[in-house]
Order: sequence, then C-alpha cells, then structure tokens
Amino acid sequence: MEYIYHVAVLFCLYAILATSFNLLVGFAGLFALSHAALYAIGAYTTAILTTTLGLPFPVPLIASILFAALLSIVIAVPALRVSGHYLVIVSLALQVIVLQVIVNWKSLTGGTDGISGVPTYSFGSFALDTPARFLIAAMLGLAACYWVAWRLTRSPFGRALRAMRENESAAQSVGLDILYMKVSVFAISAGLAAVAGSLFARYFSYVGADSFSINETIYILAMVILGGTGNLRGAVLGAAILVVLPELLKFLPMPVDIADKMRLIIYGCVLMAVLVFRPQGLLPELRGKKAMFVQTDAERDEADTAKLLDGETGATSETVLEGRNLCKRFGGITAISDFSIALRSHRITGLIGPNGAGKTTAFNLLTGFLKPTDGQIDLRGKSILGKKPHHLVASGVARSFQDLRLFTNMTVIENVVVALPNQAGHRISNLFLKPLTVRAQERENTALAMQILRFVELDGKAHETAADLSYAEEKLLVVARLLATGAEVLLFDEPMSGLDQTTLREILPVLRRLAERGKAICIIEHNLDVITGICDEVFFLDEGRTMAVGSPAELMSDPELAERYFK
Amino acid sequence: MDLFLQLLANGLINGSHYALLGLGFGLIFSTTRIVHFAYGPIVTFAAYTAWLISGSMGLPLIVGIAGAVLVAALLGTGSYLTLYRALERNGAPPLIPLIASLGLTIVLENLVGVLFGTGVRTLDVDSSVHFLGPVFFTSIHVWQVVSFVVIAVALGAFLRRTRYGRAILAMTDDPEMARVIGIDTLKVSIIVFALGSAISAVPAVMVLLKDGASTHMGFAAVFMGFVAVIVGGVGSLRGAIAGGYLVGLVESLGLWQIPTEWQGSISFVVLFLMIMLRPQGLFSMARK
Repeated sequence: MEYIYHVAVLFCLYAILATSFNLLVGFAGLFALSHAALYAIGAYTTAILTTTLGLPFPVPLIASILFAALLSIVIAVPALRVSGHYLVIVSLALQVIVLQVIVNWKSLTGGTDGISGVPTYSFGSFALDTPARFLIAAMLGLAACYWVAWRLTRSPFGRALRAMRENESAAQSVGLDILYMKVSVFAISAGLAAVAGSLFARYFSYVGADSFSINETIYILAMVILGGTGNLRGAVLGAAILVVLPELLKFLPMPVDIADKMRLIIYGCVLMAVLVFRPQGLLPELRGKKAMFVQTDAERDEADTAKLLDGETGATSETVLEGRNLCKRFGGITAISDFSIALRSHRITGLIGPNGAGKTTAFNLLTGFLKPTDGQIDLRGKSILGKKPHHLVASGVARSFQDLRLFTNMTVIENVVVALPNQAGHRISNLFLKPLTVRAQERENTALAMQILRFVELDGKAHETAADLSYAEEKLLVVARLLATGAEVLLFDEPMSGLDQTTLREILPVLRRLAERGKAICIIEHNLDVITGICDEVFFLDEGRTMAVGSPAELMSDPELAERYFK
Repeated sequence: MDLFLQLLANGLINGSHYALLGLGFGLIFSTTRIVHFAYGPIVTFAAYTAWLISGSMGLPLIVGIAGAVLVAALLGTGSYLTLYRALERNGAPPLIPLIASLGLTIVLENLVGVLFGTGVRTLDVDSSVHFLGPVFFTSIHVWQVVSFVVIAVALGAFLRRTRYGRAILAMTDDPEMARVIGIDTLKVSIIVFALGSAISAVPAVMVLLKDGASTHMGFAAVFMGFVAVIVGGVGSLRGAIAGGYLVGLVESLGLWQIPTEWQGSISFVVLFLMIMLRPQGLFSMARK
C-alpha cells in the first residue's frame, strides 16, 4: 500500500513538472530544454535553506520559487534572440552548465554527495513522514500549480501566448508585447517547476545532481508530448502514464540497473512513437468553440463596432502618419532612400513598383519592424522613431503581411480577438487580481470580434481553424485581424494578390468603406486596376527611390513609368 | 612558455578530434538540416563495438575499427530511414526531428548500457610517448591528428570529384533547388547519414583508446560536433573544421587560467556565447 502512495506522490511531482513545462513548450512554443535544471534549483534551494539555516515552512518554498524564476530569466535571454534548433541546443548547454556549477560548488551543494537530512514538513507533532501523509502535501502542490496554469492558459494571456507560438512577428503586429510574454512565461514555468523541486527535497530528504540530468528533462518532455502539447489535462495524463507504465517493469524479473535503463528506453520509444504516429498527443489542443472561454452569443449594439472601425478624425482629411527622408541600408545595399510619405485620414495611398523596389521595406520602417538608417517618422506630429511595433499598434499604426502570417492553429475568431486593443487579460497580474474585469471584457471582446467577422463576412466560419480556410477567406481574415487592432493607420501589404475577380469585388468595397469612415490607408499593390479603382494618391518606387507621386491617372499616363514597371 | 607550447599542442590534438566530430555531424546537418542529436549515442555504440571486437574477442584493432564504422553507418542510416524519414513524410515542423532525436538518444544510450554494461571499457594498445622539444604526446595523439587529416582530404576529394559528392554539395546549398534539378534527395540523405556516422566511428575509437568508452561519451561527442559546426557556420564543412580547432584551442589554453574541474564547461560556454552573439558562425562568409 505504501508503494502505491509512493507512486502517487511521484505522479504529483511529475504532473507539476509536465504542467509547467507545457506552459513553455506547448502554449508558448518555446522549446527551452533546461527544465530539470530549474527543478534542481528548486530542490537545492529548499535543501540548503532547511539544512543550513533551518528556515521554517513556507520560507524555503517561496525562496525556491523566486530563485528559479530569477534564474529562468537568464534562460529567457537566449530565447529572445534565437529560436528553433538554436534554442534547444543552447538551453541544453545551459542545463549542463547549471548542473556543473551544482556539482563543482562543493561547499554549498555537497558536490556529488548531494545534501541529505532535509526535514519533511511537520505541523506540531504531525509530520508528513510517510508516503501516505506526504501525498496530502503533494496533491495540494499539484492542485495549486494546476490552478495557476489553468488561470494563465484559459485567458487572453494564454491566447496571446499561442499567437506568439504560431507567428512571432504577426503577434507583434497585432500589438502583443513579446518581451513581456516570454520573460513572464519563463518565470512562471520555472517557479512551478521549483515547487516540484521543493517537494522533491522534502519527500526524499535528499537531493543529488543525478536526479536532474538531461534525461530528466527529456522524460518530462515525453510526458508533455505524449499527453498533448497545449492541453493542460494532456500533460497531467502524460505524467500519469509515464510514471505508472515503467513501474510495471518491477514485476518482471531483471536486475535493478537494467530495469532503470529499460525505463528510459521506454520513455524514448514513447516520445518517438508519439511524434511519428500522433504528433498532437493523446489529448489535442482545444479547438472550435471549446477554444473560447466565454460564450459567444452575447448581443451587442452596432455603435461600439463603429467606434473601432472609425478613424478618430472628423470629416476633413488630415495628415496622420508622416515619414520624411527615410533611408534604410543593409550593409552596402540601399533598400530605400530619401522616401517621404504622408498618410492622410479618409485617403487610400498606394505604393507600386517592381519587385525589390523597397515597398515592403517602407512598410517595415513606418511600422517599427525596421529602424531607419536615416530620416524621421511622425505620428500626429510626434516622433515615433525607435518605437517597438507593439507600441505603434497601441498608438494607432498597424500593418498586414504579404505572406499573411495568420495564427494558423487557432480558430478564426481567436485570430481576431487576440488583436483587439487594451485587453486587461493580457497582463498576468489582472488574471489573478481582477478576474471579473477580465471576464467581462472578454465577453465584450468576443462579441466585438464577431461583429468584425460579420463586417468581412466571415462570421459563419468563426469557430473553424484558420488553417482550414480557403485562400480568399484567409485574406479576409487578415483584413479582419488588422481592423481588430483598432488602429487608425492601416497598412496592407498586397491584400489583393492572388485573388480572383469575384473576391476582389468583395474586398475593395471593404477598404473603401474604411477610408470613408476616416481611416488612413496605405496599400502595396501590383494590380493596376485596383490602384486606379481605389487609390487617391500613388507612389511609384523603383530601386529604392521614389520615381513619381501623383493621382493614379497621372501616373498611368506617364510612358516612362509604364516602361519601367513592365520591363 | 613550455606550458604554453604543451597546451597549444593539446589544443591542436583535441581540435583534430573535435573537427572530425564536427565534420561527421556537419555533413548530416548541413545537407539534411536535421539536428541529428542521436549522433552522440551512435558514437558510443561505435566505441563499444570496437571494444567488443578487439578487446573482448581479441581480434586485431583494424577489424574493430571496421566493425565500429559499419555499426555506426548502419545505425545512422537506420535512424534516418525509420525515424526522420517518417517525420519528413508527415510534413512535421523542422523542430520535431530534433525532439524525436532526443528520444532516440536516450533509447540508444541506455541500450548500450543494457547490451554492454555500464562500466568504463578500455582497450590496451601499445602507446609510446614522444617528445618534440618540451612538448609531450603519445602515439594515440598522433593517430588522432593523422586520421583527421586523411579523412578530411578524402572527404574533400569525394565531395568535389564524384557525382554523389557534388549532389551533396548542391543539396547543402539549397535543398529545394537540388530537388528541382533532379537530384535524388532521398538517396543523398541516406548517403550523408551513412558517411557522417561512419566518420564519427573513428573519433569514437580514438576515445576508446585514449580514455576508454563510457555510456555518456556520446553526449560530449554530439555537443562538440554541434559546437564545431555552429562556431564554423552552418553549411560550411571547412568552417566545421576551423570551429573544431578553435574550440580545442580555447578549451586547452583556457586551462591556463581556469581550474581543471571547469574544463568540461568551457565548450558549453563557448557554444552559449556563439549562439547568442553570432549565430551565423565565425566563418559563414568564408565558403563563397
């Protein structure tokens, strides 16, 4: 019986680890494989504080959480600079370095001998000194950690995390603060892992570096991937299976060290098999209506949508965004030089020119995705030079991408909701301190997103996954997502390319209506019919220089430009 | 000064070792873009195979080396055909093969333990000590340098002179384009997995002769291979060689100032700094 309680305690520890790792790997898409090192930090901090300083509960636990969270920021730094393969390898290297420091810092950590004699929890005469009693603490720990993870992921913040995972630059382009999200998800994930570490130290009353090797990280990773990345219950299920399954090996006659190796072989095989045969895991990420955490049938009057879709200016046209003498060089190559543009409300401005003319570079400069080598950018007369893309979105300048960059593994409505401005639920503190505000706002935002989808006539597909849309529908969703930002300056990078005439006739009036409502619109376009159809003013760029500015009719009648364009 | 010369020589010897590991790993990585982490335990497997043949069974070392090369090539090809190929067919995102490779790594590493036991396995060979002025080295050190030079020259000739070699280079440049112009990328992938793994068997045997084989040796091997490739710049085999030597020298000369117990960490710190500061590698422009 004791044995079963022991396995149950192990399950609780690994369920905490898998849940916290799932936040990082499954929701944020950050494959930083140094989780066992953070687990180790939690365990060692508790062990050292209890054995050398004799600090009482809950001081060591809190210290473990804080210290691991602090250290995780060191790991977050690479994650801000590199991604993919590089992040995996660099985090594995960090895991090795942390373990090496633990082993070599003998005076503090006992080196390879580890630290023994860590006292278990005791309250008066009641000590949690048997597996059955300790299970109470382990279950409380798991419940608390799971609740924190649940609160984080079933929230606007969790949705923003997934958007960042799907496409980081698109997440920035809808106003999400990548730095804040990465650092905080690292810190929370590490803090939760440290809870498991602290429990580990108390339960085994011993910590040694062997328990926190890279194999341990891969073991936890296998749980997350088996259960289902991006599904909280999945990680817990994965932990349950991978803790219990190898215990069955104990019933086979084989030496202990072989059994231990067989256990690891099983984990490795499970990891590979899941990736090949069921990459989404046993419990896939929630989709469709289940992806939402409030009902979507809430009613809402038109007025508020109008507020979002309207520009802030009155009936007259005035300059909103102005770039002067902008110049961008990459090494020796000049992508664009001496580019000056003024985007006015109620107006649609077009950028045309052959490929490589510098049109997209101009967009990148105006929206903060690139820093100009030279020149000035003003928004309503105030310089916005050097501001980050998400700041500019908040100030009212947003853009779309030529290659769409939708959040493909999220639903259509999620793609729109995530872009809505000023969401209290994007801040972690609000999720825990102002849950009711967050919920009420979420209800409003969901209804608002529905209205925007209705505006582009995608409301029928609101709960479908973006990946399943047709190309034309994807283009409409790009427009809807950009509108959701509520920005008054909207820059569209080739919104019409690849569309047939019928769909064109659907999108063109949408843009015109937006301009009529006071937005300042800029589009990059190759289709001259579109340009002549909707633009008030056209810039012709070639080889990074502005060749001509004027009304579409003026530019079309210039034979030299026509020759350049069609050369 | 004598210490400096000795550390320099050690750096060059270790550098040859790392360069060879980098060459094998880099060949696979730059051609297929798969981060074949299981390269590590395959190195371990090769070392234990050589021990089994030449130590346990008492056959000549050359037979042991041949066996190690064969086993490594088979395991490398096998992992491509069974695991990575299946993932490629599924259209898995680029990170997934690496994650799967981590799974394969713990399977192979523990399989070594189950099959051969966990203790360190050594092979006694006649290793004479030589002096060159104040610098001391053993004949195994000489073999390490010689084996690297021979393999590097042979590989260079193979890549430039033969049809398959040129196909490999083409795929390294641009896998999509290689496919478009009619190169059989499946065949090329199989060849690089076989060749890269076979190359790794040589440094594996050298470790067996020098320090003995242990189940954990593969981890250091794949990391050093990766470091060499990253330092040199992905896609450049010459870069991988330069990277291997650079890491060998930094690690060895670092001993001048850094206590020995930290030597193992130096390469990880180098890797960390490289990826953070210059992920495109030091010599990424050198190839053109």
